[in-house]
Amino acid sequence: MIQLFHVSKHYDRRTALSDITLEIEKGEFILLMGASGAGKSTLLKLLIGAEQPDEGQIFVQGRNVSKLSPPEIPYLRRKVGIVFQDFRLLPKKSVFDNVSLPLLVQGATHGDIRRKVLEALKAVGLDHKKDQYPLGLSTGEQQRVCIARAIVNGPIVLLADEPTGNLDPDLTSEIIELFKLINARGTTVLVATHDPQVMAQVNRRVISLNQGKLHAQPQIAV
Amino acid sequence: MRRLSYLLREAMTNVLTNRTTTMVAVATTAFTFACVGIFLLLYVNLRAMANSLEREIQVIVYLQDDLPAQGIADVERHLRADRAVASLLYVSKEQALIEFQKQFPADSHLLQGLGQNPLPASFVVTVAPQFRSSESVKRWAERTRMITGVGQVQYSQDWVESLSSMVRYIEAAAMIVGAILSAACVTIIANTIRLTLYARQEEIEILGMIGATKAFIRIPYVLEGAVLGLLGSALSLIILKIGFELFRYEIRSTSRFLGVDALLIFFPLEMCVLLAAIGLFLGFAGSYLSLLRFAEGRG
Repeated sequence: MIQLFHVSKHYDRRTALSDITLEIEKGEFILLMGASGAGKSTLLKLLIGAEQPDEGQIFVQGRNVSKLSPPEIPYLRRKVGIVFQDFRLLPKKSVFDNVSLPLLVQGATHGDIRRKVLEALKAVGLDHKKDQYPLGLSTGEQQRVCIARAIVNGPIVLLADEPTGNLDPDLTSEIIELFKLINARGTTVLVATHDPQVMAQVNRRVISLNQGKLHAQPQIAV
Repeated sequence: MRRLSYLLREAMTNVLTNRTTTMVAVATTAFTFACVGIFLLLYVNLRAMANSLEREIQVIVYLQDDLPAQGIADVERHLRADRAVASLLYVSKEQALIEFQKQFPADSHLLQGLGQNPLPASFVVTVAPQFRSSESVKRWAERTRMITGVGQVQYSQDWVESLSSMVRYIEAAAMIVGAILSAACVTIIANTIRLTLYARQEEIEILGMIGATKAFIRIPYVLEGAVLGLLGSALSLIILKIGFELFRYEIRSTSRFLGVDALLIFFPLEMCVLLAAIGLFLGFAGSYLSLLRFAEGRG
């Protein structure tokens, strides 16, 4: 599903990632652990073509991401759902409109949009709040809207960058359970976090990054 | 369909959200277009006037005073054979005198004092349309002057020439001013769109992350620019029309320019449509320019 071969990324004199080689299978739930500045966000950016590696090759579902032309990148991103730490919802659009955006950009029909948005909102337990606006929701609800937006078009992989960074332990637990549910339906999930609570609750394969280097890659613990 | 309605709605939201900026941009664009419009209106009116005067160009071929009937017939045959002559009318010495007395009754005693009729016979020639340019008329007059029996050739071309050259100068000035002010319009619209782009930077980033193509992201802003340009040019036409009617009213109420108001013309409908389309295009160019700069700024 996702393969990285000797990937390195540098910003001026700072090395963000150094010689990373790893493989993620379809349907896996992976935790990408590491302190701030370890290179987690850079790795996620490389996977969606927001950054290009200085060395190495990245493949997502067989396609070499590092060789995609700029017009091809949007089509890669349509297969990948992204969850942000700061939710990144549009405050002037309703919950329904926020979640419908990935379908709109793909040119989905009116009926498809309505059906899939309501399905995604139901999956995160917010179908009753579809007409509300993000600023009227709690932080946990905002993150769930962000997750609904990420899964609405049925992505092959879900990337989450510090998804629980702004949440208290109860809400963190709630969001992790949601990721587990999404993963159970067949979507590959990659969560970048430095939160030990997440690691304890997930109990799956962990990839550790330390100063841009792959620190450990334990086997799947079942 | 839903995507199209989304893009149109976004463009409209942009226009309505930044209401003050939009109004300032439309007003500034309108006044800038109106400045170009004043030159164009002046040009259109003077051009129409010059055309109508050129249509009425008549050349008077005066005959030598002692020319016998055969000589007059020879000159007439010569003129009728000329392609540059559309029509001609013979005015005898007697007719010329009657005409003079009719036109200048107070001065007719001057001729009576001379004892004989000093006015020469002449042919009044209407020049064919394809030979009405000042250069052609000038060349034709010089050629005709060489015909045996012809005394003088007179044409009121001088001031028509002056008018034509003035029209040319105004045309050039309109083009230069038009180009400069069009660039100003593009800059005004580009800056307005840039403000919108910065205000919605985060939204643009989010759309990019969820797989929107560049075209999908850009279309609302390009539409916004085009709408601003169109509104600006439409408003400028309204301002010009009001100004034009006020000017005509002023002229009508001043007896010195009696009749001139009837000659004044506003832009024909097709030119109004063209000017609105130019506004739309300049707005489009302004927003596109802004999007390019914005994209460069974000690397």
